[in-house]
Amino acid sequence: MSVGMVNIFQQADHPVLPKPTHDERARQEFAKALKTFVQQGLLPGLGPVFEHRAARAFARTHGRPPADRHDIRLAMTRDPYFQHYAATNRIAQELLWESVLDSIERDLPALNARAAALSASARAPLEIDPSFETPRYVTAIDIHCMPGGYAGEVAPGDVSTGALYDRGVYLYAMGYMGPFNDDMGRSVVNWLKRHMPDLRPARILDMGCTVGHSTLPYKEGFPEAEVIGIDVAAPQLRYAHARAAGLGLEVGFLQRNAEATGFPDNHFDLVVSHILLHETSGKAMPRIFRECFRILKPGGLMIHADLPPFDRMDPFAQFILDNETWYNNEPFWGAMRELDQIALARDAGFPDARFDTAPMAVMEFAAGAADYADAAAVAEREFTAGEYAPGGGWEILIARKPA
Amino acid sequence: MPQPIRDARGKRPAFYEAQGLDQAMSMILVLASEFATLRERVDTLERVLEQHGIEAEAAIEAYQPAPEVLKQRELWRQAFLRRLYYLARKDAADAVRGDTEARFRETIETIARG
Repeated sequence: MSVGMVNIFQQADHPVLPKPTHDERARQEFAKALKTFVQQGLLPGLGPVFEHRAARAFARTHGRPPADRHDIRLAMTRDPYFQHYAATNRIAQELLWESVLDSIERDLPALNARAAALSASARAPLEIDPSFETPRYVTAIDIHCMPGGYAGEVAPGDVSTGALYDRGVYLYAMGYMGPFNDDMGRSVVNWLKRHMPDLRPARILDMGCTVGHSTLPYKEGFPEAEVIGIDVAAPQLRYAHARAAGLGLEVGFLQRNAEATGFPDNHFDLVVSHILLHETSGKAMPRIFRECFRILKPGGLMIHADLPPFDRMDPFAQFILDNETWYNNEPFWGAMRELDQIALARDAGFPDARFDTAPMAVMEFAAGAADYADAAAVAEREFTAGEYAPGGGWEILIARKPA
Repeated sequence: MPQPIRDARGKRPAFYEAQGLDQAMSMILVLASEFATLRERVDTLERVLEQHGIEAEAAIEAYQPAPEVLKQRELWRQAFLRRLYYLARKDAADAVRGDTEARFRETIETIARG
């Protein structure tokens, strides 16, 4: 994050986005500002505090320097600077959800009615399965401390946790996902256009699409394609379907599990996911890779966008990222980063999976909105663990099913 | 009337060893948020007044409080500080009465015996 850049990024409005009052918006902006401050004001101090204080205290106690991210955690959790950093980060997360819930609570029945009306007007399908079994790795705890989690419902046809996610994730990312929260999908589409300009996918699947924020760019980028988003959480899908209708894009949303989607063999040209894998489980992830192989046409592409695996960063960076596991209700976050994804892909039938980086699409946001004028400064950044979207790009695992 | 779910499932970690400090920190940050929100409202108020032809900042700087207003404001400040320091007041009263933790425990034991 460029020092001196003032973040005035604003989310683009759309028909099912919760509308805050003046004071609700002020609280939301405060939560966003607090997250910014943690990253710009507190995070930079962690390295020096570790080097000059916590590591030395650890060495005095244990007779050796900290060796890995577990030792670093042991050293840092005793240090008051880290305690304030971690506590503030967690409280910022909690204030963020609280500030959005106020807007939703005020408007709940009207929000659900509005979503239902928009969905009814859409041509693309919405499929909710009343007997669907949401996997335990999604329901055991509320991921990101989002109250209700992805699947929580408080009324028939409820979209409230979808609305909570759409506004909440904008604040969580401090606006770096762009005015439509679509940076990840947009970045991958841009990467494809740049590296595979002849690609003409007829059928595209986005796995774990949540509110469809990263799904819609594929319809924009490949307008002739049939684009489908799947997720296990009904309120997210209902909201996604209404959201897409409100934004005028035809994308189908189906309640399916990425481990066993129910689609036919050899069906899709392109299967993608965005920050899905770290929210699954040790057993689910290999199954998802195998399912991708099955439903892809020969020659089809699998792309999973997420944060880099641990072996691509130093122990201190690993420690910082691992805080998500312990403090932000991300049960699979740490363990996922220890998996050999290239090997998993190979076991699933993809002989030459590789990693690449898809630069963030922020330049487009800068062109599109006055309050994103400074966004370009974000594009060229060094990787810094703990910062949102570190390194100005998304790590993508890309693999082709043999033709 | 359906209400959204307010609390996320999953035991919240403790960040501080000192008991009560996690809650104190969260309350401090909520207060920071409320303060920032109130300030933003005042800022909006001044700008809205400006749109209606009232130069709020200049008027604020030129404002001369009458003695009655000065008195109201000082009364508010002193009351605010008393509210802020209520535990200091309590602590002094405990000292004057000779109230200690030991005496408290002793009272409990005595009453328990009858």
